[in-house]
Amino acid sequence: MKKFLAMILALVMSLSLVACGGSKTEQKPAEEKPAQTEQPAAPTEPAAPAELTADDIEDNMTSADGKYQVAFITDVGQLKDKSFNQGTYDGVKLYAYQNGLSYKYYQPANGDQATDDDRYDAMKAAVEGGAEVVVCAGFMQGGALERAAKEFTDTKFVFIDGWSLGLDNVTGIAFKEEQCGYFAGYAVVKEGFTKLGFSGGGGGTNDACCRYGYGFVQGANAAAAEMGVNVAMNYSWQYGASFSASPELQAMASGWYESGTEVIFACGGSMFQSIAAAASANDGYVVGVDVDQSSESDTVITSAMKGLSDAAQWACTKAFDGSWSEIGGQAVSLGAAEGSTGIPTETWCLENYSVEEYEAQFADVVSGKLVIDADFNNLEQDYSNLTLNII
Amino acid sequence: MTFLVQQTLIYAIPLMIVALAGVFAERSGIINLALEGIMIFGAFVGVYFVRYMQLAGTFSAAKESGNWLALQGLELLAMLVSALMGALFSLLLSFASVNLKADQTIGGTALNLMAPALVLFLIRILSNQNTLQMAEGDAASWFMIKKTTLGFSKTADLGFLGTTFLHKVYLATYVCIILFVVLSIILYKTRFGLRLRACGENPQAADSLGINVYKMRYAGTTISGALAGMGGFVYALTTANCTSNGDVAGFGFLALAVMIFGNWKPLNIAGASLLFGLFKCVAASYSSIDINGDGVFALADIGISPHFYRMLPYIITLVVLAFTSKKSRAPKAEGIPYDKGQR
Repeated sequence: MKKFLAMILALVMSLSLVACGGSKTEQKPAEEKPAQTEQPAAPTEPAAPAELTADDIEDNMTSADGKYQVAFITDVGQLKDKSFNQGTYDGVKLYAYQNGLSYKYYQPANGDQATDDDRYDAMKAAVEGGAEVVVCAGFMQGGALERAAKEFTDTKFVFIDGWSLGLDNVTGIAFKEEQCGYFAGYAVVKEGFTKLGFSGGGGGTNDACCRYGYGFVQGANAAAAEMGVNVAMNYSWQYGASFSASPELQAMASGWYESGTEVIFACGGSMFQSIAAAASANDGYVVGVDVDQSSESDTVITSAMKGLSDAAQWACTKAFDGSWSEIGGQAVSLGAAEGSTGIPTETWCLENYSVEEYEAQFADVVSGKLVIDADFNNLEQDYSNLTLNII
Repeated sequence: MTFLVQQTLIYAIPLMIVALAGVFAERSGIINLALEGIMIFGAFVGVYFVRYMQLAGTFSAAKESGNWLALQGLELLAMLVSALMGALFSLLLSFASVNLKADQTIGGTALNLMAPALVLFLIRILSNQNTLQMAEGDAASWFMIKKTTLGFSKTADLGFLGTTFLHKVYLATYVCIILFVVLSIILYKTRFGLRLRACGENPQAADSLGINVYKMRYAGTTISGALAGMGGFVYALTTANCTSNGDVAGFGFLALAVMIFGNWKPLNIAGASLLFGLFKCVAASYSSIDINGDGVFALADIGISPHFYRMLPYIITLVVLAFTSKKSRAPKAEGIPYDKGQR
């Protein structure tokens, strides 16, 4: 028996070694650069090809001196959620890779139950690990961020989905999620769907999700009014508090599809799994969130995207090229005008609503001709062509 | 109604099969607290197997040509593999509690602690995320049987029984039901079953008649491990879109509760898990349940708080237990390591 156990242990060890070895094959040789470099964009390796995508860059890199200049602190949920965390980290990776900087991500301890202390610890670890810029994703980081930013005044913090903390080394970047929600809602109704659903994460306490939902409702209503049809929408925050997939969420979504709902807007990272599974079982459709999720499932007809990756890159650029004072201590809200909201046109699969129509509408939003209400406290109002069924 | 039956089955089947796993272990005299851990492990193994097969491309031709029989074969294979690995995993418990005569509760708890950690560790290595997913597509598009897969047209009316049991179902559900029936018969109507139960009631007497108690207990726990591992994969397949993240939402512990609730008897267990599954389903989707198909959503219209519906499964369990627990009787020798010298 002992021999058997020893054999199993040896097997497990060798297997894990093999697995670890495999993931490091594409290591980026950033070691040639000194850590305290100030030169802006002089990668020591051949310039990355233009079509380089974030997926080609390793998530984990090893720097020679053990210091990581750009740090990323994840929100609740996992890094590879194919949505919020991943989108933001893609921007961090792209910027760091193209500028020859070292980068690393930190996940606060205790996962979905992370406290301010856990987040602060992650930020502290990032700063002590040599971070010059710390990108923090998610509005829940506010408390910890304030504490960390006051303590580490030499480090610059980028607060994605956040607000200004009144500190010069913090910039808050928010998005006009109501715009992309609006685009998506408008598009699906124009496509011919009349029974919609919205399943949001964060239990209604996440401002970004609330704006998404409110925009989605407004867009659907506007399109329905133009077409002279009536649209019904189920609107729910249930089973999404932790943004994670669950059997209950899947049962709820299945129930919706079963009773006639055609499209559900899955507004939250891993929740997408549950909704997509229900959609696939019932021949329904899903609207993705934050990034283009069409590669995730055939059920995705469009996605309400915000430019997480672009915003992270934009802020990192400001931090490293000396123009930080433009955004430091401020809150920036990015929208269509900055190209930070929209629905994906490369993977367009709508048939009754064309890219041209969408682009015309997009231009209207950019020019300010079409203004979308961002105050989601107005959600419960009487819509001209939409029945809202809040569950 | 169709929806209600199907969703109830989706919740109830993993519970039922894993509770039966508990019965096999406890009837042989081993408390298998590790059901949850074995489920987690089985779910991981099954999902990894599916993913590996997808990456290897073994079944991609079948998927493209719509050869659904081959895909169902993959599903069955994955169930088999997770059952095998579940059995292997449960050997740790058997070894600790039969050969080493260790405390079974602690042994099971150790496995429960070990499984999620081990699984998350492996998932991290394999895919650098916290969740292991299928390499492509989703569970429904690969494994779900719909009427179109069976050759009916999209608009064909199969009647109530047809739409309920042939449309939007998983083969795994039926395999589990058949296994449940077969194993229950084995437990009660065969020589092996009688001996197994004897070892859980009075192992000394069984031994005096020439039954090898150690072997029987190994057999009981191994069957238990296989069923729990398979149940874990069925759970992942039908309710979690074939993903594994080191968690089965406490279904292993629920199964333990269902087993006690069902008084260690298969028929009662089936009833208990269906009852629990039904109310779990009502809790999650009460707003869209249309009981008699007249377009009226009665449960939503009453205007009761959703929290009440969410409490229902647990309240019902408490109430039923309050009335039935007096008659409840655990196998007499469970939890006591067998000692030949003892009288």
